[in-house]
Amino acid sequence: MNKRFTTILRGLSTNWVGSLGVALTTTAFVLFLFIEVLRLLGIVTSSYIGLVSYLALPALFVLGLILIPVGWGILRRATGKTTQELLDERFDPSELETGALGSRIVRMIFLLTLVNILFLGAGTARMLHFMETPKFCGTACHGVMEPEWTTYQASPHAHVRCVDCHVGEGAGALIDSKINGLKQMISATFDLYERPIPTPVHQLRPARETCEHCHWPDKFYGDRLLESVRYGFDEASTPLYTTLSLKVGSGKGDRRGEIHWHVAESNAVRYASVNDEREEILWVESRQADGTWKRFERRGRTAGAHDKVRTMDCVDCHNRATHVYEDPERAVDERMAAGEIPTDIPYIKARALAALTGNYADETAAMRGIEATLSGWYRAEYPRRTAEFAAGLDRAVASLRAAWKRNVHPHMNVTWGAYPSHLGHDDGGGCFRCHNPDLVSPTGESIPDDCTLCHSILAEESPHPFQFLLPVAEKGDPDAGRHRYLQEEFLNTLAP
Amino acid sequence: MKRLLGLTVLLVLATAGAAPAADDTTEGKCMTCHKEKSPGLYRQWHGSEHAIHNVTCLDCHAAENGDADGFQHEGALIATLVTPKDCGKCHAKEAREVQASYHASAGEILESKDAYLAHAAGGHPVVITGCESCHGAKVEIDPASPNKLSVKSWPNSGIGRLNPDGSKGACSACHTRHAFSKAQARRPEACSKCHLGPDHPQKEVYEASKHGNAYYTHIDDMNLDADRWVVGQDYYEAPTCATCHMSSTPKQEVTHDVGRRISWTLRPIVSVKKDDWETKRANMQDVCMNCHGKTFADGHYHQFDGVVTLYNDKFAKPAKRIMDRVKERGLLENPAAFSNEIEWQFWELWHHEGRRTRHGAAMMGPDYTWWHGMYEVAHNFYFEFLHSARAFGDPEVDALIDEVMADPMHQWFNRPTAELKADIRDGRLPAIYADQFPTD
Repeated sequence: MNKRFTTILRGLSTNWVGSLGVALTTTAFVLFLFIEVLRLLGIVTSSYIGLVSYLALPALFVLGLILIPVGWGILRRATGKTTQELLDERFDPSELETGALGSRIVRMIFLLTLVNILFLGAGTARMLHFMETPKFCGTACHGVMEPEWTTYQASPHAHVRCVDCHVGEGAGALIDSKINGLKQMISATFDLYERPIPTPVHQLRPARETCEHCHWPDKFYGDRLLESVRYGFDEASTPLYTTLSLKVGSGKGDRRGEIHWHVAESNAVRYASVNDEREEILWVESRQADGTWKRFERRGRTAGAHDKVRTMDCVDCHNRATHVYEDPERAVDERMAAGEIPTDIPYIKARALAALTGNYADETAAMRGIEATLSGWYRAEYPRRTAEFAAGLDRAVASLRAAWKRNVHPHMNVTWGAYPSHLGHDDGGGCFRCHNPDLVSPTGESIPDDCTLCHSILAEESPHPFQFLLPVAEKGDPDAGRHRYLQEEFLNTLAP
Repeated sequence: MKRLLGLTVLLVLATAGAAPAADDTTEGKCMTCHKEKSPGLYRQWHGSEHAIHNVTCLDCHAAENGDADGFQHEGALIATLVTPKDCGKCHAKEAREVQASYHASAGEILESKDAYLAHAAGGHPVVITGCESCHGAKVEIDPASPNKLSVKSWPNSGIGRLNPDGSKGACSACHTRHAFSKAQARRPEACSKCHLGPDHPQKEVYEASKHGNAYYTHIDDMNLDADRWVVGQDYYEAPTCATCHMSSTPKQEVTHDVGRRISWTLRPIVSVKKDDWETKRANMQDVCMNCHGKTFADGHYHQFDGVVTLYNDKFAKPAKRIMDRVKERGLLENPAAFSNEIEWQFWELWHHEGRRTRHGAAMMGPDYTWWHGMYEVAHNFYFEFLHSARAFGDPEVDALIDEVMADPMHQWFNRPTAELKADIRDGRLPAIYADQFPTD
């Protein structure tokens, strides 16, 4: 058997092309088996190995298989002999003797083909499986995907596979994604991609199919407390608290004006925007009880025939549910609140932010620059307290470096603010894209945009996290009126 | 003590007469949103005396049913426009003084030459943003506008704004919203939005004067934030515009009637003394004498009066006579006012150059008195205005010009330089002008 096998391999190694084909196929096959055994035995654990065994090796295997007949063809043309003549020439007559199941050589080729099919079938299955792992998506196109891969790993959805949101189920989705992948491979190879890469708003599966696997609108009820702290730029980095009680319900019953009203089963909202950034809204309309649509349109504009209409779903607000990029000031505030950056060093908020947002050319420069900017300032301004601050500053530097690495990726032009979030209304966007006085109905109404529509305010840049639940000052406090209003608004929200 | 009692009674009355108190929490709702949506506005107010004294949004912005500019906003009937009538609910004395002042009539300019010129030679957009931005617009109501105010007349904080409630003026012209800071209104910058430029460079004259020089040098010692701001007592380094024209002295109360200390009107072609000018001048001298002696104050007025009379007699009156004669004789080619070059020359002679001369002298800015002032008047008069007048070739106009030029003040034109220099040296030329100074 072994002799026959080597005979046939030798027979197929017609010339250097054929030999290469044989060598590639055989080596790929043997290596694949070898790696699989090692993997199954738990000796190899790196998931990068999947790139070799499920992508590279099957590809080489197929390449080898193609080269063998190519080599045979070259030989035929070069010698001008027929296949029969060549067979007679290259193989022992006993191999070519025709039996009940054809000649030995035919039986051998049949056997090998069977093995090939089995191998390729298994390989393809393994390959497809591997291509569904986040590891593949995140690392196959290493440089391009690095920002998304980094933020994904730090996100609340780090245990949800990329393909669960980005590809979808069924053969159609699979084929789409492979065609898309091919395009991406081409653009990655020939450097045709944009930097930063635009958010793939059209390739994303409908959010209602994906997000609502886990989060379904009927489940949004009650209020949710959102606490944040912002440290001042003063010497003490004085903390100021903002606490919101978010009305996240689906707006059933009396509580119509709740945030997830937009996606409640009985409601529908659709809109047209200037472009795929979905930051500038041309018009937005909501379905009324009688099935008609009530439209709010940008002042002075009449609807264009080419408006791309989109029905609102989760990602119109939660556009950064997973690939979360931080605002630099918030990044510092949160790390201070978490204790990663010590709050007892003078001016630490101001200096940490300055260090984090320095204009660094690349990662090496940033890692060095953050340390130099932060520690350097303290060495210059507090020369006698360097020893006292040293440990705290080391921790701060480590934290800031990590924050920088998470959010800034110069090779992809991803820097602070490259991907704005539509959640909330930090920079006047988000909710205020539609909830603003510039979108008006035919009767001149605009969509409400008052502050307590979507959240009660329990503190707003206040010294106490629940400032407005404290008693109202009797007099002399300019904020007394606001305090009283917000307290009552919150209490009335709780007990309608 | 009596005054304090009076003030208390006034305050109580003012509070009682204020607009119907809105729901206690409504103003809180205003603040909640406006802190987010217009944080600058909110913060200015938050740091203001108004905030400390619990004067909140609706105390000024609440509208009454039937107000033409009232509109519903988040459950309250409000008006964007706050007029002197609104401010006067608490600041009654100030509102009364403003209504009586020259400032309050600044919006009634439609029939003036200035407004005519801007409408005709400029155009409506420049009238709105140029003229009415200082003088005040007639506020128009537009029912389709979100705040009921026509975009043609809002924003506008001109000092003589004609408000829908019949009141005149805008307190925010000087007391910039929403901080309404005393310091801000006391600074010369408060006046400098309007009182500047080629036709009345009060800002520039002040800055060039020793008064301005001392003010900018000692700005930190001006005690501008003080509640009580009496010149010579609470501050003494320099006067600002407000010091001389409005603010308290040990003898005078602060006034919002800005004309009470002005004795000349320097605005028209020919300056005249104002009604009851002696009292007004005495009021001003009372201010001067917190820093200067009597002879200094008298000396200043002697010199100032001399310049005004000189301008009147040597250039303004003759030029006006010639201009009138040209018009009487029907010599102007084009029918409309300002459609002939000589009209622009005459206009600039008095409205720009002549005013600069007079304002320079009034506020001790030498460069404006002479180089930007009388020098330009003379140049215009001799080489532009008279040239244009002579070009008509009209015997009556020529005769009048000859008559004017025969005046001893103009005779230098036809005499040798050396002789004139000799006359200057021995005082004969200055003596010609002896009559220009007041005789007292």
